[in-house]
Amino acid sequence: MRKTSRLGSEARLGWSLVAPALSVIALIAIFPLGWTFWESLHLHELRMPWLGKPFIGLANYAEIVKDPRFWGALGHTAFFTVVSISLELLIGLFLALAMNRVFRGRGFVRAAVLVPWAIPTVVAALLWRFIFESQGGIANALLVRAGILDQPMVWFIETATAWVPVILADVWKTTPFVALLLLAGLQNIDLTLYEAAAVDGANAWWQLRHITLPLLKPAILVTLIFRTLDGFRVFDLIYVLTGGGPGTSTEPVALYTFNALLQNLRFGYGSALSVVIFAITFGLALFYVRGLGVRLGGEES
Amino acid sequence: MQLNPDIRVELQRTPDDASQRHQLYVQWLNARVGNPSILQLDVVWTPEFAAAGWVLPLDRFGPAKAEFFAATIAANTWAGKVYALPWFADVGLLYRRTDLVPREPRTLEEVVDDAQSAMSRRGGPRYGIVSQGARYEGLITGFVEYLGAFGGQIIDDRGEVVVNRPEAVRALEFMRDELYRTRVAPLDVLTWHEEEARFAFQNGNAVFMRNWPYPVAAMSDTAQSKVAGKFAVSPMPASGTAPAGHSTAALGGAQLAINAYTEFPDAAYKLIAYLTAPEQMLERAQAVGQYPTRPALYDDARLKSAIAIPLDNARRAIESATPRPVTPIYTELSEILQIELHRALVRQAAPRAALDAAAAKINALIERTGMRKLMAAASKA
Repeated sequence: MRKTSRLGSEARLGWSLVAPALSVIALIAIFPLGWTFWESLHLHELRMPWLGKPFIGLANYAEIVKDPRFWGALGHTAFFTVVSISLELLIGLFLALAMNRVFRGRGFVRAAVLVPWAIPTVVAALLWRFIFESQGGIANALLVRAGILDQPMVWFIETATAWVPVILADVWKTTPFVALLLLAGLQNIDLTLYEAAAVDGANAWWQLRHITLPLLKPAILVTLIFRTLDGFRVFDLIYVLTGGGPGTSTEPVALYTFNALLQNLRFGYGSALSVVIFAITFGLALFYVRGLGVRLGGEES
Repeated sequence: MQLNPDIRVELQRTPDDASQRHQLYVQWLNARVGNPSILQLDVVWTPEFAAAGWVLPLDRFGPAKAEFFAATIAANTWAGKVYALPWFADVGLLYRRTDLVPREPRTLEEVVDDAQSAMSRRGGPRYGIVSQGARYEGLITGFVEYLGAFGGQIIDDRGEVVVNRPEAVRALEFMRDELYRTRVAPLDVLTWHEEEARFAFQNGNAVFMRNWPYPVAAMSDTAQSKVAGKFAVSPMPASGTAPAGHSTAALGGAQLAINAYTEFPDAAYKLIAYLTAPEQMLERAQAVGQYPTRPALYDDARLKSAIAIPLDNARRAIESATPRPVTPIYTELSEILQIELHRALVRQAAPRAALDAAAAKINALIERTGMRKLMAAASKA
């Protein structure tokens, strides 16, 4: 009896101690989410007060399902995410392996690699736009001089070529971040494992496949989760580089939502789009954490 | 000079960028803020603000509508009432290199021919016609000019969407042919705004340019321009092959309207009347080169020194000006058209298919926003 009541009072104390933190979370995370969801159930066009603000249930969601521009945007987002993250992981792993070696000036190289990551995304995007923009731009000049192109081309008027600067810019900017995350993972691997393997006559490739990659899996998964969620929310890079064009063929969901919500001021529909993006990213995070067993706390299982 | 010593005027700064300013206004007006009493509106915003009840009809103050260019009043009229007065006009012009094309072309087809022959000359410019073809509002202003040249419209006088009629398809095909068949326009224009076109023309790389009046000053300056003294402007001509076609210039510019939530509508109107009076327009033309919206001023010798192009050309251009669709849902309509036009021009879609898609989407927009009911109610009131 006494024991349970003491536990009860301890639990009460515990709850009262976390109450401030919980209320902050409720205020800054749960309340806006709930509000957005409530808004998404209404027809609310800030520009068209004559429509009023009627409750329309799930009609906004029904419109999303039938909206080809939304499905297009979802496809572009997935494409961007998969292609850029694959490249970043591949190049990042290569960089991490190189930086993990002991050599003179290693500290300097590690810092220097981070420079692209330190540049604000909008600035980086403007830079890449400048490189690709005009027929006399650096990209065209280099490619023509190297004999790869016969004549300068206009990159931003065809879907396939408009993706090139977008993906390049993202890979250039984010690979250092990926490399550093992987490097941290590499440094957790016990070097004696390699010594033992070497004694047993295993070559470098075998060591990579059977020691490095398996032990690096937690770091790779953490990188994946960060980058996938980032990729799904991509906005500024494409906003600056292509504006979603030509037509809407490089428009990601975040840009479409921004457009509906803040350009056209369609609060109801835009909120519904926001809720859908939230659901997708939440689902992805859940899949990584539950399905692949990523531990965000960092401890090994 | 003090006409109204009892009215004190305070200036309130707003963002330069049109869409940011628009967003700010919408926030204010949704919150029923009465300040500022007078709103400077872009030409395509007036019907939206009028239908929303955010600006007051001006008819009860008895504005002298007949003294302004007809198009500038039409653009500010919604459901039979005028909601704003034109402060200054902006108008699409055709710039031409007079050393390469001495005579003003009378048709669009002549423009293309002249461009081709000037380009093929030894040392001729690289580009024939430069313009604004990126996916933004500028693309619509250019399209409106070709559309009028072929006798087409986006929405007709009865409110029907006619942007996929044969005249419109021909206009869009003509624009596309300039890029891919007659090749007088570089593909680059599909990413260009006003400034890129100006740089190309100013550096002597183009025979013609479609642009607003603002570059005239910079391009007449020999220190920064290679074409100073070697260019002229005229209204965009009509197509020689379309009987219903007429010379058309897109209309831009600023309007002044009264905030519906202001405490001082009468004082606000007095200020608008003052700012749109002939003397004020002359003064502003002399100070910053903005084009008056009163045709009578184009007979005034004082205006001649203020604006850099011959008064007659300026007047003809503004007289041929056509408002973009005068509708409260203009912004979304424009977005639909921007996307479909751009798709056609980059060859993601055929002109006909793109315009059919645009028409279908605009009709769906009209349906969704209850436009017909609103117009019926507004014309009854």
